[in-house]
Amino acid sequence: MQVVWGNKNHAKEGKDKQMEVKDLLDYFSQDLFVSKLKATTKDASLDELADLFVKSKIIRKKSIVLEMLRKRETLGSTGIGKGVAIPHGRTTAAMDVKIAFGKSEEGMNFDSIDKKPVNLVFMVLAPPHDENNRYLPILGKLVEVLSDLKNRNKLKKVKTFDEFIQVFNGVE
Amino acid sequence: MLKHLELLVALQDLDVMITDIDEVKKIGFKVAGKEKLEEARSELVRKLSKPLLYNYENLTKRYKRAIVPVKDDICLGCFMRIPTSLITRGRSDQEVINCEGCGRVLYWYD
Repeated sequence: MQVVWGNKNHAKEGKDKQMEVKDLLDYFSQDLFVSKLKATTKDASLDELADLFVKSKIIRKKSIVLEMLRKRETLGSTGIGKGVAIPHGRTTAAMDVKIAFGKSEEGMNFDSIDKKPVNLVFMVLAPPHDENNRYLPILGKLVEVLSDLKNRNKLKKVKTFDEFIQVFNGVE
Repeated sequence: MLKHLELLVALQDLDVMITDIDEVKKIGFKVAGKEKLEEARSELVRKLSKPLLYNYENLTKRYKRAIVPVKDDICLGCFMRIPTSLITRGRSDQEVINCEGCGRVLYWYD
């Protein structure tokens, strides 16, 4: 199946300004980074990454977020192919826009559109009341960055949060 | 089983998802038709009591969001301080609490 990668213009549709790759850095944090996911299934990975949001006190109730994410997955997998998944959604349970990252060495079945195993999982959560309209430009920019093979290969090698940030800092 | 407040939050999250679906599709995600979400919505609505649903639907006519966060005991819908008597009840998630200022349903983050 043909993998359809994002519309690059979408990443530029921020309300206030064009979203740059470096702007994504504001939404990552050490607390939301796992270099080796324990999860070996899609559902377990959603649970493991949602847990990070609870531990970082970005959300209080994991059940609400998982309900929303699972519902989203029933619409079509967020495994967008090429070893990448970006489970995402806006939820009343989230106070701010944040991105968690988890890496699976072996890869896992995510029902991706190209049926290939997923190694890189980015979970994007945002509140419904995101007045600056950052959520969709963030998703667009992430898809754009991850559509580049070089970036994906670098991300597959990261072991620490600093290395992860360096990849995004080095995106041309 | 989801409690009343969780059901309401799930409903609002679903309504937001329905609004976003076309934009998310443009980014390149595979998304099925809205019908699937509408079905899920109907299923969720059946689980809600009529007064709660009526309250939610009325609030969405008046405001962009029916359920709003509470931060530092302030309703982030109208910025009114929540009375102490409601804070403990609200934090327990056992019941649905409406803001005394704007009427929106309150959701505590902490």
